[in-house]
Amino acid sequence: MSESILKTEKLIKIYEMGKRKIPALSGVDLQVNKGEFIAIMGPSGSGKTTLLNVLGCLDTATSGTMTLNGIDVAKLPEKKLYSIRRNEIGFIFQTFNLFPYLNARENVELPMECTKKSKGERRKRARGLLEMVGLSGREEHKPHKLSAGEQQRVAIARALANDPAIVLADEPTGNLDTENKHEIVRLLGRLNINQGTTIVMVTHDDQVASHTERILFLNDGKITREKQGLHLMKKKLICPHCGSRIQPTDVKCSSCRKKL
Amino acid sequence: MVIIALGFSMAIMISIPAGIVANQEATQSLTENFNNTMSNMQEQINKTATLIECRASSGQSMYPGAPSGRPPFGFGREEVFINETVGNEIRSIEGVKDVVPFLEKSSEETTSETINTPRGSFTISRPLYTITGVCLNSSFIDNYSVLPTNRTAGRNLCEGDSGVLLMSLNLTQYFGVAVGDTVQINGESFTVVGVYNSTGQGRTETRTVYMDLSDAQTITGETGNVSRFDVYADDVSDVDGIAEVINAAFSELTVTTYKDRLSQLQTTQEMYESTLENAQSTLDQTQATATQEIGVAVVATSLIVLFVMLYTVRERTREIGTFKAIGFSNWSVMSQFVLEGILISSVAGVVGIAIGSVAAPVLSSLLLPHVSLFGGSSQDRFGPVSGTTASQTAVASLNPQLVLLAFGVAILLGALGSLYPAWRAAKIRPAEAMRYE
Repeated sequence: MSESILKTEKLIKIYEMGKRKIPALSGVDLQVNKGEFIAIMGPSGSGKTTLLNVLGCLDTATSGTMTLNGIDVAKLPEKKLYSIRRNEIGFIFQTFNLFPYLNARENVELPMECTKKSKGERRKRARGLLEMVGLSGREEHKPHKLSAGEQQRVAIARALANDPAIVLADEPTGNLDTENKHEIVRLLGRLNINQGTTIVMVTHDDQVASHTERILFLNDGKITREKQGLHLMKKKLICPHCGSRIQPTDVKCSSCRKKL
Repeated sequence: MVIIALGFSMAIMISIPAGIVANQEATQSLTENFNNTMSNMQEQINKTATLIECRASSGQSMYPGAPSGRPPFGFGREEVFINETVGNEIRSIEGVKDVVPFLEKSSEETTSETINTPRGSFTISRPLYTITGVCLNSSFIDNYSVLPTNRTAGRNLCEGDSGVLLMSLNLTQYFGVAVGDTVQINGESFTVVGVYNSTGQGRTETRTVYMDLSDAQTITGETGNVSRFDVYADDVSDVDGIAEVINAAFSELTVTTYKDRLSQLQTTQEMYESTLENAQSTLDQTQATATQEIGVAVVATSLIVLFVMLYTVRERTREIGTFKAIGFSNWSVMSQFVLEGILISSVAGVVGIAIGSVAAPVLSSLLLPHVSLFGGSSQDRFGPVSGTTASQTAVASLNPQLVLLAFGVAILLGALGSLYPAWRAAKIRPAEAMRYE
């Protein structure tokens, strides 16, 4: 049986606008297993971003329980949540949210500044992560000198800086063109297969969602439906395009020559 | 723009204490100067308790601030002379111990002088120096103050000297001569045998050449004449009686005694005390004004930092959200904004010090009342001449302690002003910050 990394039960989030109460999450039951790559889809206002914020401890639920890597985070006060965010969660944002006055390496080093890692260790890890996301030689570039795709790669490297238990991505391809969109999804897929990174991604793009292994549909603050994605086939080392056997390190299928 | 506004505010803050320091120094210098003058005058009066000064003139001495009641050099003195044989008659009065004759006459050469007053500047013409003829009797030289004693070079005049002179330092600089050189006085050659310092403590600066009385009478065309007798009584108790007899017998002489000089001293003291009182009152007023102005500047600086940092926090809300999302604690976020506030105000502090170092005199004179310094601003081709009634004000300037203090205050205000915005930044909920547009 797979090990659960994130589990929620009857998660409810209600926003209060004066006397009006607006339910954003209406009892979400969710389990994310270690090493899974999940997409959450749903129409605008369905509560996708709210769910991601609650899962990422950026916001607290009105009621319900949530366990992250064995920690009951729903009951933790705000002053303890920052260490959960730092050590257990990596965030990827639609607008990248890089610091414009820092270069790529410094942006990746930033989450490690609050840890016990030495400056040398931080630098080495940042360079390693940037190399992993395909940005060797671009370490000293400021964000405005990088393309949108490259900026999102830096953001992905930053999300992995503290080796988190789970990576939460909020519309990571929303600001990218088609080519970069596929590159980023493939990069996330490779990270999931090669590094075993657990990823929960919010998207409204069917194509992007299809590259994950499980797609959850959110409607009116509830998970209404679930289906399998193509990524599961890749994890089982089968080409999702032609069904031939593939290797974990393959970028293209050796039979149909399509990108994996 | 913000840095310049902050810098200007800092410059005001630094200029005000600079003005206070300048005023304190001015008041202190004024007090020291007055105390020295008073003690010198008292000493002089005590030394000359038996001296009756008999001057050939029609009026009373008008210059109580000058030593021995003599007028400061060149200020409208009426030059009147009397036959030196009058001295023999005075000598015969009972109780008179000695009569020392002097001849004081202005040089033919003149100099123009600019005098600065609070109401403006004006130029006057006055004699370049005074020729003083002294009876070089060794008993006079040994027992009485007939010659200057504060020599800087050469020797003093002595009995039997002729064709030589003792010259004030400022005159040697003007003539470009030293001891042993020859100088022309009223067309006659004299050898400089000694130089004395003409600016003693609390004394007026004079430009004088001392020579034998006969030499002086010859070159000034006043053969047989003198301008003053210093009459010494056997005892202090005889002074009033002798003065009375001289007054009665010689109407052409103005007689000044120990008592007159004491009265003059009292008048001077009252004048000085009044000036000091004014200075102290100005200083008190300055400090009261400065406290208010510094208060306003501190509040203004803190408010500028506060609003700048509030604006920064608002503009960077999403950034704050990102910081929190990647694991920065409230404390880390808060300290980062406080540090930014300190950085901004430190830069402003440097700008303020730069502005203050140039504009402190102007700013402090605009913002604070200033203590007036008594004397010391009239000027001629010899340089400054003290002892006049002209006045000038204390000028503010920065010193290293003030600069360090200003920098410290800048850091403190930066920290204080950014505290609330930083606290607000720390309190922003990450999810709300991420939604902020």
